[in-house]
Amino acid sequence: MSAEALPNREAVAAARSRGDGPIDVIGLALTAITILVALASFFPIYWAVITSIKPDGEVISGSNSLIPNRVVFDSYIHIWNNTNIGIWYINSMVTSLIITALVIVSSAGCAYALSQLDFPGRRVIYVLILACFMVPMQALIVNHFVLMAQFKLLNTWAGIILPQLIVPVVIIVYKQFFDSVPKEFREAAQMDSAGHLKILFRIYLPMNWGVTASLAIITFIGAWNSFLWPFLAATGEATMTVPVGITQVKDAYGIVYGKLMASAVVAGLPVAVVYLIFQRRVTQAIMLSAGVKG
Amino acid sequence: MADIVLRDVSKSYGAVQVLDSVSMHIRSGEFIVFLGPSGCGKSTLLRMIAGLEAVNAGEIHIGDKRVDQLPPNQREVAMVFQNYALYPHMTVRQNMSFGLENIGTDKSEIARRVDEAARMLEITALLDRRPAQLSGGQRQRVAIGRAIVREPKAFLLDEPLSNLDAGLRVRTRVELAQLHQRIGTTMIFVTHDQTEAMTLASRIVVMNNRKVEQIGTPMEVYSKPASRFVATFVGSPSMNFLPVTVLADEGGRVVVTAGGTRIATTIPTSLAPTLGQGLTFGVRPDALRVAPDGEVSGTIALVERLGDRTLIHTRLEDGTVVVGDDIGKSTLEAGQPVRLKVDGSAVHLFDAEGKAYHAD
Repeated sequence: MSAEALPNREAVAAARSRGDGPIDVIGLALTAITILVALASFFPIYWAVITSIKPDGEVISGSNSLIPNRVVFDSYIHIWNNTNIGIWYINSMVTSLIITALVIVSSAGCAYALSQLDFPGRRVIYVLILACFMVPMQALIVNHFVLMAQFKLLNTWAGIILPQLIVPVVIIVYKQFFDSVPKEFREAAQMDSAGHLKILFRIYLPMNWGVTASLAIITFIGAWNSFLWPFLAATGEATMTVPVGITQVKDAYGIVYGKLMASAVVAGLPVAVVYLIFQRRVTQAIMLSAGVKG
Repeated sequence: MADIVLRDVSKSYGAVQVLDSVSMHIRSGEFIVFLGPSGCGKSTLLRMIAGLEAVNAGEIHIGDKRVDQLPPNQREVAMVFQNYALYPHMTVRQNMSFGLENIGTDKSEIARRVDEAARMLEITALLDRRPAQLSGGQRQRVAIGRAIVREPKAFLLDEPLSNLDAGLRVRTRVELAQLHQRIGTTMIFVTHDQTEAMTLASRIVVMNNRKVEQIGTPMEVYSKPASRFVATFVGSPSMNFLPVTVLADEGGRVVVTAGGTRIATTIPTSLAPTLGQGLTFGVRPDALRVAPDGEVSGTIALVERLGDRTLIHTRLEDGTVVVGDDIGKSTLEAGQPVRLKVDGSAVHLFDAEGKAYHAD
């Protein structure tokens, strides 16, 4: 076969850019599927938003219109004036921030010890942490409830926070990161008279804040969205978090969808904002926790 | 500054012994080079002196203090790592200050020491940069600077030149020698590069297979190797070895027949071993020079022109190939017959165990 018979790469690219080249059917199909999946994922959010800005009458009438006939913010005004959403927000913010801070600090310390220190039982402890993956929160919920009740921590921030501090994936990601740091850094710091706490907080963590930032963001989002445990641990409105609180949005006629959707939108707002701002970090965190190099 | 004394130091990892009863006395201000092939235990020995590896048996003394049970920061030594281990998120100044901050040194004293070290190493302009913004040579200087500011009793350098390109390695080698002359602190330098060892060392510690083979000045190690291993490892090109078939005595000096050639040496017969011990005759290429009256004859197999000298690979009658030396402008070509003259005062005999016997 002669060299002329082979179309070169530039010619194919130029033909494609003119629109007269071969059509990439698989690429088009994949793009179409991606768009459909994205639309399907986005639709519930869209439905919640438009339901929250429709007048109650239009919602109750069973109108399935995708565009509201009239835009009103009555539902938002109602939940602001008639529910404890401000308190729920504060509860969510405080518990999520404390959970994030404690999980990051304790997991980093645990991972550093498992990765860098040589002590008996190190491997067994790591295997036990890995095994925690196999035990879902739901399986432990009764034990947690009994324990918190015995400590008289139900309906307190501490009661909401403590059982949520077990996040093995953060320990595992940190350990993988610490394992990848050349041991000479620790040795150099030891020669520089630094103790292990200083090595962790002045050398290892600052070496790549990206890992900590990513893990903090996914921990925060997880804590903010957490429902089952806060639902059980907080029975009074004063300690409810936003996801738990919105289950209380109803009136004398039962569930009012417009108001419920308005509170759901308000509840999801911080997570959406955090995600939009730190989109890359969240993706990196998910890749780290899946063992893929970010 | 302080003497460093090692007494019967041993190290094992489980059943694998990596150092076997190593002893030496390093005098204050010496530039000592641990030289040996990969896996001989030289880096492990350095790390044991630093306190980064535990000592299984034996003692290490720095100055008048026994240190083998002390943590690294209490041994008053500083280490330069092969990959420099500069903290990537800190500036050069922060890297150099970190150790002093940890021991509570006064801020003005830290600034004085950092500025002085930076001036000495010509890195003042780099103090506010991070390691990623530095070249390999600059990082190496910063690593040395980080060690200098601590004013240690000894510097421990673990193959610090191995990450540099050839040209920079030569320049840095010279700078390191000058630095040692200027500050006069004991330095222990680990390398597997014999040129670095020969050019830098006050004394070389040649190590092989868990043990010290020889401790001596570069010229002692080169001209009077303690063993066949040292003779092979030090010197480039390597020493020529020929099995000895006849050993004779002429006026109290050894005469050998090796490679089919009778060679007179200045090795005293009284010191030499007896024939039948699997003797090997050794001569370096620079003691085997091309000369018309040379006692060794053969055919040139290969000519290597190095500019200032020419290496003549010569095939002897029995098929053995030896490397001889000629002037840089040698006109010899492969295939030509050649005669090589042995300098009998620079030859060696090795017995079956590798023990060496030298000419006077």
